[in-house]
Amino acid sequence: MGFLDNSGDIILDAVLTDTGRMRLARGDGSFKIVKFALGDDEINYELYNKDHANGSAYYDLEVLQTPVLEAFTDNAASMKSRLISIPRNNLLYLPVVKLNEVYDTSTAKHSSGYFLIAVDTTSEDDLEVDSTGVSIGGVLMGETPGRGGNRIRVDQGLDTTAISPGRTLDPLLVETQYMVEIDNRLGHLVSKDDATRASISFVDDDSVASYYLSRGTDSEYVSEITDSSNSAQQAIAGPRGTKLAFKVQSSLELNTSDYLFDTIGSTGDITGKGGASSYKQIKTTIRVTGVNTGYRIDIPVKFVKKV
Amino acid sequence: MATTFKNFLSNDIANTRTLLHEAIPITGSIVSGTYSDNNIKTYGHGMFESTYDYPYLSSSANQIFDITVGYAATSECSASTSTQNAKKINIYNQMAQYLVGYDETGSIKKFTMPTTSAEMRDCYFVPFARLLSKDEIKKGSATLELSVSGNTAYTEDGTIFSDRIKLTDTSGSTGYYVDSPAGEYGVLFASTSVGTAALLEGETLGDATTNPAAGLLYYQAGIAVLSASVFQRSAVIGGILNSTIFPGGAMPRITSVGDASTLGFSPAVSGSTIEQMATGLRNRIYNISFNNTTELNSTIYFCRIGHSDFNYSSNPTYLSGSEIRVKTRASDTPVTYFTTVGLYSADNELLAVAKLSEPLRKDPTNEITLRVRLDY
Repeated sequence: MGFLDNSGDIILDAVLTDTGRMRLARGDGSFKIVKFALGDDEINYELYNKDHANGSAYYDLEVLQTPVLEAFTDNAASMKSRLISIPRNNLLYLPVVKLNEVYDTSTAKHSSGYFLIAVDTTSEDDLEVDSTGVSIGGVLMGETPGRGGNRIRVDQGLDTTAISPGRTLDPLLVETQYMVEIDNRLGHLVSKDDATRASISFVDDDSVASYYLSRGTDSEYVSEITDSSNSAQQAIAGPRGTKLAFKVQSSLELNTSDYLFDTIGSTGDITGKGGASSYKQIKTTIRVTGVNTGYRIDIPVKFVKKV
Repeated sequence: MATTFKNFLSNDIANTRTLLHEAIPITGSIVSGTYSDNNIKTYGHGMFESTYDYPYLSSSANQIFDITVGYAATSECSASTSTQNAKKINIYNQMAQYLVGYDETGSIKKFTMPTTSAEMRDCYFVPFARLLSKDEIKKGSATLELSVSGNTAYTEDGTIFSDRIKLTDTSGSTGYYVDSPAGEYGVLFASTSVGTAALLEGETLGDATTNPAAGLLYYQAGIAVLSASVFQRSAVIGGILNSTIFPGGAMPRITSVGDASTLGFSPAVSGSTIEQMATGLRNRIYNISFNNTTELNSTIYFCRIGHSDFNYSSNPTYLSGSEIRVKTRASDTPVTYFTTVGLYSADNELLAVAKLSEPLRKDPTNEITLRVRLDY
């Protein structure tokens, strides 16, 4: 995609996304635009210079000169960060969504920097514990998700030491619904407690499944963070809102076939119970977005299968 | 509660229709000459000939129009001894049933010139590709310039184009007809384009009222129907060429079939194949031009951004820790900059996206209405 000509009047370059075209072609009425959002994917707010010597008119000089790319038709490539409407103008802090790896070893990533999802029993047996019998952190059991206590957890709140975690987070800023996106060819979301599969809201044209999980209706996934202390188990330093926890079940295709591993994956060594072994691996991300507050994080995961 | 979406109200969505026109020039050198006929495709069935804008074996070639010829079974040219007699009748009937329709008895009607009520029993048909004509040919914009140079075989020395007539649907924008099952059509009137004198019988140069009707142009179907009269002198029934300039031995030669006796349309069509006739017309095309029309149906979404909307961002660079980077104190005005408008379904799927050519500033002191148009 090229840059848009910004030498004259402001123009709007509008396109249907691939998902939009797919729904239009389906002809079942699912193509219905009912709302809009604004995105600022290209904007780097670090360029906003509050200390500019010439005054406030110059603070955003560089921001406003940002060149803008043409519209992408890939629905997953646009609107990655959205603007937020909050009926208060006097906020200095906004909540973030943050991976909690400090709760205990069951929520930490693997030493490789990824969450590993073992897609079959052989891989699970090798990666459940190390050669000394100690549980390996960051390994999720993809074939039998109920096995082991490892999970992925994200916390939400004001990540600042300027405000005590003992203070209550403004209800306006408490996230009540999360959207989790995962490649549907690779795995599915399951609850951390009984490993029941979550309901998919929709799967887009790129096979990305979206799960909407809400506080109240999906209490096995979303709950309030009740700990308001300066505990080392908390990733959010300030006032806290809600947390989301889940596990991942690998797809049947990954479990029974090497096709996707050979097509979009690679091979490398991972150390398990029997020492270093060769594993087929697919790197991907699980995206968690706060539906109301808009903040999102990409969690790195690897689906692994022992060769 | 914080939110990243704003719902459209019923008065935020409007529908409109726009007609988009493109100028389509087709020069005769592309049709005959430039590509040594490698851009001309013929078929085993011999029913028509296709012209491409590039040698047709190339994947980048586009079909631009076809040429075929036909006559009614009642035509003087129709005879069992005529070459491809049945196919020429079939072509005529096919075109007639599609473009003219049937009478009350269910019989196929013949092409009729609406200005004179004269039947057109011998015709060239030039269907233009949809790539060029799009939804329809713009009325009043079409011009076909043809050579009528007499008794001249095809050459590329320019001599064949020394006498030219121009067929235009001059009254198309105001005087078109609607009694065709294939949509609207107009009359193609002939006038002298290049020549020493008026090439058409009864024509006064510069006086459009003296221009004879020479064909029909079906706007939505994108098909030109040329009467055989454009290659006949007036001494022959239906001919429009000036008999003084085009005496019997100096009529336009349509094909290479036969000798001087085959001059003009009638003897040529009897003894020539459809392909030969098509090639004959193609080599006499000096240029063709028209404007096409694309009908755009648009939905306009008015994205009304109020003063209290979208003043914060979820952009990771917007925060340092959790602190808003563009503020120093809580009382400072929040400010954001946006480059993209996303249009969503009820289940939050991104269905359309619009990009601004430059970032727009949003803060609690301004309101913005963006007009996003989606064309279908």
